[in-house]
Amino acid sequence: MMLVRDLFRLSLHNLLLHKVRSTLTSLGVIFGVGSVIAMLAISEGAKRSALAQIEAMGVDKIIVFSKRPPVDGKSESSNNASVMERYGLSDRDLGNIAKMDNVERITSVFDARKKVLKGTQRTDLKLIGCDYELLQDSQVQIEKGRWFSPADFKNNANVCVIGKNVKRRLFSIGNTNIVGSVIRIEDAVFRIIGIIDNRYGTQYPEIGNQNDMILIPITTARALYKDYTFYREGQNFKITRIEYDLFLIKVADTSYIENTAKRVTGYLEKAHSDTKDWGVLVPLELLMRLEQTQNIFTIVMGSIAGISLVVGGIGIMNIMLASVYERRKEIGTRRALGAQKSDILLQFLIETVFLTSLGGVTGIMLGFGIGWAITYYTEMPTIYSAWSIALALVISTLTGVIFGTYPAYKAAQQNPITVLRAE
Amino acid sequence: MGEPGKNAAIDYIVRLIDIRKTYITGDLKVPVLKGIDATVRRGEFVGFIGTSGSGKSTLLNILGMLDVPTGGEYYLEDTEVGRLTDVEQATIRNRKIGFIFQSFNLFPHLSVEENIEVPMVYGRIPRKIRRKRALELAERVGLGHRLGHRPTQLSGGECQRIAIARALSNTPAFILADEPTGNLDEKTSAEIMKLFHELNREQGVTIVMVTHNPALASHYDKIIRLRDGRIDEPAREQPPEAERKEIAP
Repeated sequence: MMLVRDLFRLSLHNLLLHKVRSTLTSLGVIFGVGSVIAMLAISEGAKRSALAQIEAMGVDKIIVFSKRPPVDGKSESSNNASVMERYGLSDRDLGNIAKMDNVERITSVFDARKKVLKGTQRTDLKLIGCDYELLQDSQVQIEKGRWFSPADFKNNANVCVIGKNVKRRLFSIGNTNIVGSVIRIEDAVFRIIGIIDNRYGTQYPEIGNQNDMILIPITTARALYKDYTFYREGQNFKITRIEYDLFLIKVADTSYIENTAKRVTGYLEKAHSDTKDWGVLVPLELLMRLEQTQNIFTIVMGSIAGISLVVGGIGIMNIMLASVYERRKEIGTRRALGAQKSDILLQFLIETVFLTSLGGVTGIMLGFGIGWAITYYTEMPTIYSAWSIALALVISTLTGVIFGTYPAYKAAQQNPITVLRAE
Repeated sequence: MGEPGKNAAIDYIVRLIDIRKTYITGDLKVPVLKGIDATVRRGEFVGFIGTSGSGKSTLLNILGMLDVPTGGEYYLEDTEVGRLTDVEQATIRNRKIGFIFQSFNLFPHLSVEENIEVPMVYGRIPRKIRRKRALELAERVGLGHRLGHRPTQLSGGECQRIAIARALSNTPAFILADEPTGNLDEKTSAEIMKLFHELNREQGVTIVMVTHNPALASHYDKIIRLRDGRIDEPAREQPPEAERKEIAP
C-alpha cells in the first residue's frame, strides 16, 4: 500500500512534468466521457419527460374509454334516415366495474358534444362533464379561482372550470376578469369559477388535453343534455347516444393493475361482444414499454459515445508506449535501485489510470457543459443521474487499465542493461 | 594462491569464481569475459580498471546483478546470486548493492529528499523512517540544506553526492560505482573521491569502483586490471596509505 501511495505521487509529478502532453493525451478520454455523459443526460431527459406525461395519467389507474365502432359502409347507407347510433360505456358497465375487487373508485367523464363557438366560428374546444375527483386524478393545477364544490354537483349548478387554452381562445389577452364571467354554449350559460393548467400535457384517449376543455359537473351535463347528441352529417340527421366517454379507474395498489386491467378487459369483451366500442389504456404498461424502448435507445447512444472512448484509449496507449521508450533510462535506473518488474508495471499502469481518470472527471464536466448548452438552445431536457457519472468514472478508469496494461508490461520487460546504456 | 574465497576466516562481500560471459549474436559467439576470479573483502575499496572493450561494463552489469554470467559463480555474502529469480535478484539489488552511475541518474522531477528515498521506497520502508534516513544521509554527504531542491538546481558534484546518499540509503553490502567521476571536472572529481574515501575509511563502507581512469588508482586498496576479458595481472594489494604518494585524480 505504501508503495502505491508513493507511485501515485510519482505519477502526478510525471503528469505535471508534461502538462501539455498529458492534456493532449487525455483529450480522447475527455471527449469520450463528455459525449457519454451528454448522451445519457439527453436520453434520460427525454425519458423523464415522456414518463411524466404518462405518470400524469396516473400509474395507479386504468383508463377505459368509448370508441366509435368501425362503421360498416353498407349498413350505413341503407338505413340512413335518422339513425340512432348507440355505443360506448354505459351505466351498467360503471356499476359492474365498480364492483370488482381492488377498484377503489371510478371517475367518469362525459363529452356533451356541443359546438363551442367563438363568435360564429367553431372551435375545437370541448364541453365535458366530469366527476368531482377529476381534479385529483388528472393532477391538473388550479391556476385561478376554484374547482367545483360538492354542492355544484348536487345542485346541477351551471358553473364551469376552463382550461388554460380555453381562456386564451375565447377571451382577449389581458382580460383579468375571466373568473366570475359567463360563457354561453348553445342555449346554456355557465359561470366560470376557475381556470386549470395541465402542465404535463396529459391526453386522454378520444377526449384530449384538459387545457382545451370547458369542464362542467357531470350532473349538470346530464340534466341539460341527457345522453343524446344530435348532429347533422351531410343530409342526414343523426342521434348519438353515449352514456360515458371515459372511466378513470383507480386501483387500490399498483401491484393489482395488471390483474384488474385483465379483468376489466375480460368483462368489456363479454358485455360488448357485438361491437368493439371501447378501449383500455393502462398507463403503467405504457410506462414499462417506454422504459424498455428508452433503455435500448440509451444503450445505442451510449455505445456510439463509447466508440470515442475506445479511440481515446488507443491514443493513450500509443503515447504511453512512446513514453516507455523515452523513459528507458529512468526504468533502468529504477531497476538498478531495486525496483521489481511489478513495481515498474504498477508505476506505468497507475500513471495511465491516473491520466484517464483525470480525463474522466474533466469529461464529466464537459458533458455537463454540453448538456447545459443543449438544454439552453433546444429546450430539450437533460437529466444527469448519479449512475451515469459513476459509470463514466468507472469506464474512464477501466480505459486506463485496459489500454495501460500493455505499455506498462512493456516497461516492466525492458532489459535494465540496454536501457541503462541508452543515453 | 588457490581458489579465491576458500579461506572462511576472511569476510568476503563478493567472490567471483571463473565468471564467463559470451554474447551470442546470430551464429557469432563473442566471449567478453573469459574467466574472472576476484574477491572483495568487507571494508575494502576495490577498483576494476580497464579500457573500453576490456569487458569492464559487462563485469559491472554482472556485479550489479543486472546481467547473469554464462558461466562461473558469483557469491554475494555467501549467496550464489547468478541463478536467482528476477524477484530475488531485484530484492538483493535493493538491499545489498548501492548503485552509483557516471551520469548520476537522479530523477529530475523528484526532490533531493525523494531521490534519496527511492531505494527505500522499493524496500517498502515506511515513510517516516525514510525521511529521517534521507536527512541523515544528505547531511553525511554535506547536502543537508538541499533536501527540498530539485537535481536540476544542483551542480554536477552535488548531484553525485546525492547519488551517493541514495546508494547508501538501504545500507548496502557494497557500493558499486560506475565511472563516478567521469562527468565531473578535476576539482569536483577530487572532492567526490575524497568523499568515497571518507566513507570507506571512516564508516567502513565497501566500495567497488569500475573505471577506465588509471589516475584514480591511488585511492584503491586493491586494483583489478581487466584486459580482453581477463584479469591482466594478479590482484595487487596497495601498500598502506601512509606509504603511498598522493596522486591527484
